[in-house]
Amino acid sequence: MTAIATDPPRSAVSSPLERAYARLGVLLIAPTILVFTLVIVYPLLAAIYLSVFSIYTPTLQGGFVGADNYVELLTGKAFWNSLRVTLIWTVGTLTLQIVAGVGLALLLHQNIWFRSLARSLVLFPYFLSTVVAVLVWKWLFNDLYGALNHGLMQLGIIDMPLDWLGSMPNAMIGVILVGAWKYFPFVVIAVLARLQTIPENLYEAARIDGAGPIARFWDITLPQLRSVLTVIILLRAIWDFKEFDLLYLLTGGGPVTSTQTLSLLVYQEAFGLNQMGQAAAYSVGMMLVMLVFMVLYIRQTKEKA
Amino acid sequence: MKLLRPVLLNVFTWSLVFLIAFPLVWMIVTSLKPQSELFRIPPTWIPESVTFEHYWRLLSETPFLRYFRNSVVLATTTTLFVVALGTLGAYSLVRFTYRGRETLALLVLFTYLLPSVVLIIPLYLMMVTLGLSNTLFSLILAHTTFALPYALWLLRSFMEGIPEDLENAALVDGATRIGAFRDVIFPQLLPGIISTALFTFILSWNEYLYALVLVNSDAVAPLTTGVMSMLISAFNIEWSLLMAASVMMSLPLIVVFAFLQSYLTSGFGAGGVKG
Amino acid sequence: MANVIFKDVHKSFGSFVALEKLDLDIRDGEFVALLGPSGCGKSTTLRMLAGLDFPTSGEISIGGRVVNDLAPGKRDIAMVFQSYALYPHMTVGENIGYPLKKRGIKGAARAEAVQKAADLLQLGALLDRKPKQLSGGQQQRVALGRALVREPQVFLLDEPLSNLDAKLRSYMRAELIELHRRLGKTMVYVTHDQLEAMTMASRIAVMHGGHVQQFDTPDAIYNRPANRFVAGFIGTPPMNQVEGTVEGGDFVIAGHRVPIDRTAYSADLHDGPAVLGVRPEAISIGSGEGLPATVRLAENTGHETIVTLELPDKRRISARVEAARRLDVGQPVALRLDPAAIHLFEATENGARLNLDDTPASVIPMRST
Repeated sequence: MTAIATDPPRSAVSSPLERAYARLGVLLIAPTILVFTLVIVYPLLAAIYLSVFSIYTPTLQGGFVGADNYVELLTGKAFWNSLRVTLIWTVGTLTLQIVAGVGLALLLHQNIWFRSLARSLVLFPYFLSTVVAVLVWKWLFNDLYGALNHGLMQLGIIDMPLDWLGSMPNAMIGVILVGAWKYFPFVVIAVLARLQTIPENLYEAARIDGAGPIARFWDITLPQLRSVLTVIILLRAIWDFKEFDLLYLLTGGGPVTSTQTLSLLVYQEAFGLNQMGQAAAYSVGMMLVMLVFMVLYIRQTKEKA
Repeated sequence: MKLLRPVLLNVFTWSLVFLIAFPLVWMIVTSLKPQSELFRIPPTWIPESVTFEHYWRLLSETPFLRYFRNSVVLATTTTLFVVALGTLGAYSLVRFTYRGRETLALLVLFTYLLPSVVLIIPLYLMMVTLGLSNTLFSLILAHTTFALPYALWLLRSFMEGIPEDLENAALVDGATRIGAFRDVIFPQLLPGIISTALFTFILSWNEYLYALVLVNSDAVAPLTTGVMSMLISAFNIEWSLLMAASVMMSLPLIVVFAFLQSYLTSGFGAGGVKG
Repeated sequence: MANVIFKDVHKSFGSFVALEKLDLDIRDGEFVALLGPSGCGKSTTLRMLAGLDFPTSGEISIGGRVVNDLAPGKRDIAMVFQSYALYPHMTVGENIGYPLKKRGIKGAARAEAVQKAADLLQLGALLDRKPKQLSGGQQQRVALGRALVREPQVFLLDEPLSNLDAKLRSYMRAELIELHRRLGKTMVYVTHDQLEAMTMASRIAVMHGGHVQQFDTPDAIYNRPANRFVAGFIGTPPMNQVEGTVEGGDFVIAGHRVPIDRTAYSADLHDGPAVLGVRPEAISIGSGEGLPATVRLAENTGHETIVTLELPDKRRISARVEAARRLDVGQPVALRLDPAAIHLFEATENGARLNLDDTPASVIPMRST
């Protein structure tokens, strides 16, 4: 919104060349705007429009119900339960991602053997299809033949095979774990890139001043990582908040609704319970919650620019 | 002590790396185990015998190849479409001045963060109304919703990294704006375009939700929903087969990782984190 | 004919006024330097001449043709950028040949022209290299080669030497002077380095705050600065400026009288506050009669000594003396100023010079803010 204000005011007599350039610029962006309008802006507005209707998905029939869907959202249990689940999942998996990500980035920044191979192996899960990740983990989690249970039993950590995804709180721990495994490489790459730009003479100066390795981490590394961590946390919080594939495929929201995040709630309402209008209302509610993070992220980005 | 420290560091780091990579190792190991060895308790950590029968069955007895072909068509078309639009759009956003340009850039960033489930309901209705449901084309359009903002944002960052004076020099030397783009900017942007294309391809290749909602015919299903349907439809879950499918499904990724990894990391610097 | 004329040109970016009422008349074949501190508008001026920026109002013409609406490529100009802006993916030969390619010159004709330009700049052996395989000085010459290969009417140079080391810079200065003499083309050269402007240009436009402060020969800029800004910008160390009062035939500094020749100044000089300007080399340091001062610092550069002197009211001025001269810190001295070398300025922030000497016609009316 400040963007419009800072746009230089066009003088009445701008040169034909300048105008021709501006026209070319608009022409180049026009296809993008067209596609944006068609597949993003229009559906976005349609979602808001649909949220005041009651629509039965298979027939697409229904009528105007005013604010009923929003009354249900505010007074019913589903939305608030899912919001709570979403927050637990987001905070849990994000914390693990950051801790594991920063830790591994620090290790991989050291001079270890076959460093680039180690880096590749660590990055791989991030680019893997969620479907593949889920299949592999479901197999690992398998209560009879799963490698995880047997591994833990052989190490003596557990006595009996655990039911990983079918009961609480194991299901939530399970999805948080898989989420952390799949997405922490993002933190690793970002932090590694930043670590490489910290000037070595900062550490030399600290060493001369008598700072040990731990003091150097707290006094130099962490402050230098602060800005990149802010961006990572915001970005990952947004992405984890809206995650669908991983949770849907791993637990389907179960047991019952104990891992049903907002994304799953919207899907379930629209294509499971066939209440499209109500689902649209949930999605609008979800977007409003996310807007807080988005505004924070956008402000952070603009600040840096 | 001086010698021990690096050894400990290496052992510690590599143990963690192995732990992280273990699910992938296990995926490959499982896909190579004969059926008889698979359901042994406790599992054999190193397979006693190796077989490729699951891969053979996957390719000959299941619709895996069809899913694979669908995914190739889907991801390639989406990538070409999105990168072409995104390159022109990013050039416009970075190197031209017109009213509303900043607002547009902000809108791109906003859509880049938008959850898919918000768009899925209206998109579903739209595809049904247009008679496009159950087509690959509907998936290409749907993938544009996340791929285009992403590509635009990435390419914008890459474009900003090209010195403005290069284009100015070309203009003074007699090129038109489009000529300068072709002769000077495009060759400079090429690594960024490759990086963006790889990211877009991977995003599209891995996408699940839109495929789940917009396509329910087996003939046009991409790998993600196709392979998942193999899990659900089988009465007795054939884990070896599924692991073989997972390995095969990750092939393009392995190729990218083996040969083009630097493009992935540069894309990260440009779009993911710098914002 | 390739004269360059800026007529009443204004340029603003949003609410920021970059240039205000710019008038410049650059003659055919002239080497003009646009000199000023960063943010003075000199680069904007050059970019507007190149067609890379657009004037908010006013008219720019090259060779009698108004170019406001012409694309950069149609203005028959060539430009050397501060960053050189060599096309990284093209070889040296392709870089130099690019302007010809864009004008449809093909095959042997192009190769021949490229070869000629390369030979002129001793780049002949490097034609197949890529820019990043070249040293800074070589890259600089490639940028020059690309500019002169198609023999444009006007050359624009934007701080072309600022990325070179000191030694190479002085070598390239001589090269550029020689090149200008040989080609005889109009050159407009933007720099913040007064040495470059003074040694190379036939005329200098000193710019500050979006205005041309003075447009004149290096000699006039140095000896007859139009106002306090120019006086303070040119010369190392710059001209001393001391505020005081004019009282009859004297200029009074902190109660001490410095004799001046009232007839040498315009009728605008009245008794009252004014600013006295004197170059460091016009101050002689002695003892006895004169303006009392104390030596605070003496810096011997080898061929001369720059002396920092403190006046009785603590203001400091500098003087230039021969290197052999011994002066001790804290030593009291008496200063004598050559009356013929005394400039007087209006007592405003950028006061105009009030000396009567043959003020050249090209000095544009001063603005004193």
